[in-house]
Amino acid sequence: MENSSIQEPFDLIRLSLSERVFVKLRGDRELTGILHAYDGHMNLIMSDVEETIMIVDVAEGAPAGQPATVNVAKRKMEMLFVRGDGVILVRLPYCRICRCSCNQVSPPSRT
Amino acid sequence: MEDSTPPPPPEEQSPPPPPPATHTGSPTDFLKGVVGKRVIVRLTSGMDYRGVLSCLDGYMNIALEQTEEHVNGVVTNRYGDAFIRGNNVLYISAAEAF
Repeated sequence: MENSSIQEPFDLIRLSLSERVFVKLRGDRELTGILHAYDGHMNLIMSDVEETIMIVDVAEGAPAGQPATVNVAKRKMEMLFVRGDGVILVRLPYCRICRCSCNQVSPPSRT
Repeated sequence: MEDSTPPPPPEEQSPPPPPPATHTGSPTDFLKGVVGKRVIVRLTSGMDYRGVLSCLDGYMNIALEQTEEHVNGVVTNRYGDAFIRGNNVLYISAAEAF
């Protein structure tokens, strides 16, 4: 097996220690930052973090089906503890298979 | 003579459910079978992640390779490797024969 170093999902997180990771959180929030520590709950310690918050504004009285406007708010934090139950997904800093940029860490720009 | 009246028979004797015609294995067997195969993981939020299932654990935490994020059938993101926390998983669907 090619990826014999991975026996359990947490091995993926272990490989990302000290790397910049992308974390998708509940409540339409995303983080990118350097992963310093984690535990079995997926509680995370991250540094140099940028949080991206997607705020969907549905205009009052707008007809149904009209696309809602999405506002993006960003903020930066030096050091962050993330409670594990908010984590949906963690993206690794690089693709283990091809090591290419198909695993870009910065989230795609949204307008 | 209430003492002499026998207890009424049970209202309804439901017969035991018949065994399924074809036993295809337990959920665990299914999961063991799809490791290394292409799967579709649906989260409770309704998002789909398609990719190759590297491994999973008892919490249903999932490691996916060549991951594509689908929202309403449209690819919204591509991740090489991704970890999905198990509590968000609604189902895991085999996307190829196993």
